[in-house]
Amino acid sequence: MAIVFEKVSFAYDERSLWRHSALEDVSLELETGVFAAVAGTTGSGKSTLLQHFNGILKPTGGKVRVLDFILQAEGKQPPLRELRRRVGLVFQFPEQQLFEDTVEKDLCFGPLNFGMGLEEARERASQALALVGLDDSFLPRNPFHLSGGQMRKVAIASVLAMDPDIIALDEPTATLDPQSRAELAGLLSRLQREQGKTVIVVTHRMEEMLPYVDTWIVMKGGTKVFQGSPAELVRESGRLERECGLAVPACITTWNQVAARFGLEHEEPCLTPEKLAERVVRLLEGHPQGNKREGGG
Amino acid sequence: MTETGLAFELQQVSFAYGPEQPVLSDVTLRIPHGSWMSLVGPNGCGKSTLAKLLGGLLAVNGGAIIVEGTPLLKETVQQIRPRIGMVFQNPDNQFIGATVEEDIAFGLEGRCLPREEMAERVKRYAEKLEISHLLSKHPAELSGGQKQRVAVAAILAMEPGIVIFDESSSMLDEKARGELLNILRDMKQSGHYTMISITHDAEEIMASDRAVVLRDGGIAADLKPSDLFGDAELLDSCRLIAPYGIRLARELEKQGVHLPAECGGEEVADALWQLYSRK
Repeated sequence: MAIVFEKVSFAYDERSLWRHSALEDVSLELETGVFAAVAGTTGSGKSTLLQHFNGILKPTGGKVRVLDFILQAEGKQPPLRELRRRVGLVFQFPEQQLFEDTVEKDLCFGPLNFGMGLEEARERASQALALVGLDDSFLPRNPFHLSGGQMRKVAIASVLAMDPDIIALDEPTATLDPQSRAELAGLLSRLQREQGKTVIVVTHRMEEMLPYVDTWIVMKGGTKVFQGSPAELVRESGRLERECGLAVPACITTWNQVAARFGLEHEEPCLTPEKLAERVVRLLEGHPQGNKREGGG
Repeated sequence: MTETGLAFELQQVSFAYGPEQPVLSDVTLRIPHGSWMSLVGPNGCGKSTLAKLLGGLLAVNGGAIIVEGTPLLKETVQQIRPRIGMVFQNPDNQFIGATVEEDIAFGLEGRCLPREEMAERVKRYAEKLEISHLLSKHPAELSGGQKQRVAVAAILAMEPGIVIFDESSSMLDEKARGELLNILRDMKQSGHYTMISITHDAEEIMASDRAVVLRDGGIAADLKPSDLFGDAELLDSCRLIAPYGIRLARELEKQGVHLPAECGGEEVADALWQLYSRK
């Protein structure tokens, strides 16, 4: 298991009168090498959950295990430096993560800080930048003169440059143009499939992550209300929409409507236009799988 | 030469962040009063820079911007700025007041409005944006969608004739994004505003009158939103993706299945069922 939460609670201002509980009794398991996504409305505890992955926040109740590191309210803290080398976090606002005066320095900061030589760090920087689709001409540029979308890509590259085992991203695709969003989702999926990384994405745009995600978590009011496969998510989407205000994307609602009409509820859902069109064509050609065929021949 | 009936006229505008970084060159554009224009294009194409030039936050290096007949210059920017409201991506960066009420009032205080009028405007715009119940709250207590409503109320209370939305919906979840879009639609309906929205959101683009595609520092296309989403190649070049319904219809079309043109959302399953039953 890459990440295990055992009855984890977290409260901001634990001892204050204004105690505000952001996570309550959350238990979950994420296997090593999984692609997981966390959905839920604003204020449901998604970001708070994510910040437990590399020890930015420490649970005020229960136990968090990330790789071999254990975080809990009482007791000794694990070596956070080592934890943070192995768990890379990309925050919601890229401008808060960049601070150097060139992109290259920003990208090298992590690797250098964790003891890598300058040459190797530079190589890593260039590779990481290529991964997010930017070429070396960006290296000498000032990150604060980049566009919002480019800044976000650099912030993501700065985490990839550290080559972490677990990559956790908080709304990584906001501000990116739609095709960059699709490319980033594809890149994360490649890192997971080809390099065995564990990837966890907090997202409110479910559609773009759907083709890649193995397990979905839905949060509401600081509690976990759902964890399951994409097919299970699709089947329960109506309930999650009603009860948690989850915004269900068109690809799911369209599939559910088509499935209800044609009696396909128990099939693997077709969630891309290509797959759904192909399925529909098979239906129209008269191979309605499990439906009664009319007439002879 | 200037023209009446135009909110903005851009004449061969160019801009660079220093000599090595040209962003816009030779941009010529007319934006009529009361229209709603979407500014689209890939990351880094200069959309936000153009918005800042229009809002007078940056000055052009070459060419001219004329706002409602007045050239935007160092000498006139003070007089022009109050006519233009800007709503940004992250509402947190826009909050100043300790309560929602103070926040909306802040801009009005800067205008030295009489107290009664200030109170009246806060009340009126809070009602309009359905945030009256939030007036005594601290901005940190609000959800992302509520914050963006407050930001819009604070801008509209200053009664600008022109409002620029710079990716104002990109941080919002799907529900809040839909609510903001309804606000934009209402603003358009009222006829009081010239609106420019910088966005990647397909629905927002579809709701506007006109899509201007910015690429490589210039205008690559200027067309109706429905034409933009009908042009797969152009969409690709400005790195947009069409709404799911349009993509599905296109895929079906490729395989010889024709859906009725105006069919969308829930009607898709019904239309397919009709095709199926007719067999």
